[in-house]
Amino acid sequence: MSARSPVITGIGMITALGCGVDEVWSAMHAGVSGLGPLTLFPSPRYGQFPVGEIRHDLIKLGAPLRGSRSDRLSWLAAREALGMAELGDFNRDRAGVVLGCSVGGSFDSERFLENLIKHGKMRARPTRFHECASATNLIADSFELFGPCTTVATACSSSALAIATAAELIVAGESDVMLAGGGDSLSRMTWGGFHSLLLVDAAGCRPFDAQRAGMSLGEGAAILVMEDEQSAQKRGATVLARLGGWGTSCDAYHSTAPHPEGAGAAAAMRAALLCAGLKPAAINYVNTHGTGTRDNDMAEAKALKAVFGAHVPPFSSTKRFFGHALGASGAIEAAVCVEALRRQELPPNLGFTTPDSAIGLQPLTTFEPAPLHHVMSNSFGFGGNNAALIFSQPETSPVAVSRVRVPIAITGVGLVKTSQSTDAKISWPLPADTVRAYACSESFSENEITVKQRRRLSRLGQMVLVAAKRSKPLETDRLSVAIGTGWGTLCEAAMFIENMIAKDEREPMPSHFINSVHNSLAAQVAIEMGAHGLNFAPTERDISFESALWQGVQQLVTNEADCVLVGAADELNKYLLSIGRRWGLWKNATPAEGATVISLARDGNTRAPLAHVRGVRFGRYRRPFDAEREAAWIAEAIDLTQMEVVLSGANGWKPLDAMYESVVEALSTRAGRSLTHQTYKQECGEYYSASAFGFARAVELVSGGCRGVLLYTLSPSGAKAVSGVLP
Amino acid sequence: MDALANELKIRIIETLKLQDITPAQIDDEAPLFGAGLGLDSIDALELVVMLEKYYGIVIKDIEEGRPAFASISSLAAFIRARKSSP
Repeated sequence: MSARSPVITGIGMITALGCGVDEVWSAMHAGVSGLGPLTLFPSPRYGQFPVGEIRHDLIKLGAPLRGSRSDRLSWLAAREALGMAELGDFNRDRAGVVLGCSVGGSFDSERFLENLIKHGKMRARPTRFHECASATNLIADSFELFGPCTTVATACSSSALAIATAAELIVAGESDVMLAGGGDSLSRMTWGGFHSLLLVDAAGCRPFDAQRAGMSLGEGAAILVMEDEQSAQKRGATVLARLGGWGTSCDAYHSTAPHPEGAGAAAAMRAALLCAGLKPAAINYVNTHGTGTRDNDMAEAKALKAVFGAHVPPFSSTKRFFGHALGASGAIEAAVCVEALRRQELPPNLGFTTPDSAIGLQPLTTFEPAPLHHVMSNSFGFGGNNAALIFSQPETSPVAVSRVRVPIAITGVGLVKTSQSTDAKISWPLPADTVRAYACSESFSENEITVKQRRRLSRLGQMVLVAAKRSKPLETDRLSVAIGTGWGTLCEAAMFIENMIAKDEREPMPSHFINSVHNSLAAQVAIEMGAHGLNFAPTERDISFESALWQGVQQLVTNEADCVLVGAADELNKYLLSIGRRWGLWKNATPAEGATVISLARDGNTRAPLAHVRGVRFGRYRRPFDAEREAAWIAEAIDLTQMEVVLSGANGWKPLDAMYESVVEALSTRAGRSLTHQTYKQECGEYYSASAFGFARAVELVSGGCRGVLLYTLSPSGAKAVSGVLP
Repeated sequence: MDALANELKIRIIETLKLQDITPAQIDDEAPLFGAGLGLDSIDALELVVMLEKYYGIVIKDIEEGRPAFASISSLAAFIRARKSSP
């Protein structure tokens, strides 16, 4: 089989400058900034700061009613991208979605909180779409895609990492078509949050300018249709560009500020060049992260000089056009890069007038025609989370990603789990109530959590850090981290928004905002362990762990790391307990929380492994549920002759349990012998990250003499995942 | 003894959850950041919120707060100056 390579055959975008690539590009040509007054929600304190708000009525544009504002933005971009790609009749089992998202349904959940706090009204419906995974699921359902689907939440680099992840899924042969990108709406959370960090420029962002005084927030979405080059050629598709290379890194330096010398940013750019097989001189343009904050622009300029030396290519930040759309910005700027390649012209850095001698570099100030072969897009997020993408002309030749066929060893398991269920109290602003739940009450020693970490980290962050330490990773400079979460740090996010609403934006709490981002968990592990490799934070409901596991195995297979920490964690809070029960989130099971981290390494690189992992795969099942089809999908990834036990996420809810039972039967028929069906949720309770606990249980079973455990997870959302644990 | 300085120590300990430190252990002239108490940039932002909450002082640019956050005595002086000339 010749090497697989990702190409782009469709793009779609919606930003403050308009809906659709052509509308946006024309507005950019007219020199229009999308920044203007905020009307989406009242802002008693910061109302005078300009913002990149989308004025279109999203429902009138055709977006579905069922979904958050972020979901609708992503859906509209997906519709445009699919329209451009003209996929026709394609294999939907080999077509998936990876979106990047930071805010998710926060804007809609805030409406619920405002009604509750200000008017005492309990209207929980808008919170139904709170999770970042909501848009991914909406798009997969709406456009009937059953291949690998997951969501990345690494703050401002989310959708750049989503594009890189989609590329890896194509290269690994898991899918032929991917919708990749991301969307984020404005929200009180991020609005108040960035103000609490004093990072917003009252005059609107002025990236790289001497007078720059911060960022401007924006909202939007962009989606790329990515395909394997050969299957795109086979169907005669018009290829817009090639994703030539992608690189990621982690500063492992600070929870919000970039490394002052831009070390991680430079590492990501170098990794992307290596991936693309290009020398720095081959890059014709860089679309910078360029937020307009003093620190980012200075660090990024230093990184550009470190990578490109005296010959920094023409560059610009396009953030004054759109505002900083956070999790969507990487995808929006990727779409800008593809469009720049198509039109052979470079977009300017709106807002720049006065050169900064300390930066010593000047961005483009007008649209310029130029022969473009390779362009780079940078995206950096909280936690020093860096990604660089290289887009190339279709005629350029791709470089094969080399993969090593070495067994992946499980070298350690770290658990923070619950022991017994207790009555959790629900209080203001919710109606008083108690709910039986498994809550983590373990108090950590000073050996596991320092005094400073105790006062600074979120509750869930402490649980994850302790689990990571207990997994005893190898000592190596090449360490990557992938920690998934279904809900994220709910406690801090809720406290921040409660306070914003109750106090009319007075006294916003910066540390709660910093801790509210999903990737704060993985970022803190990286800072503690000095992990400069990929820092990944998937959030995909019941398969958040398997999404992290898949990426962790990829890091080892492609030799990007020598050791990887993979895991997942979730916590309960009063809102989840109260509203989750209304939705039937736990069915008959007990709501729970917990953190699990697994240390992985390539065989031969490790001391005595506990077990090995094989055949990690995720996707979506069809309705009506077809057990034969599911068994066939599992058998493609895992050698059933090696399996003894199927360990499932059955939780006592009959419809789901029956689905699991039917697949175990179908697998037994295929294997020609009876596989034992075991479950783990009776022990750990029900939570999105519970399958990470299940994986730890599988390792325990294999260590205890079991010949092979197949871990199988089905989510009521439609997601599915499988992995094999062997001696 | 400066009453404002003492009050500031109590509020800083409370705001920043410095559970292992007592007001008596904080020297009025010792640096709050870097050496001394070892606070960082996120603590500085928390102190900005503390100034607003208890003293009604709004800081819009962290550079404006930097000299004030040097020590307890400089912070007390900053609050007095702001209070007398609003």
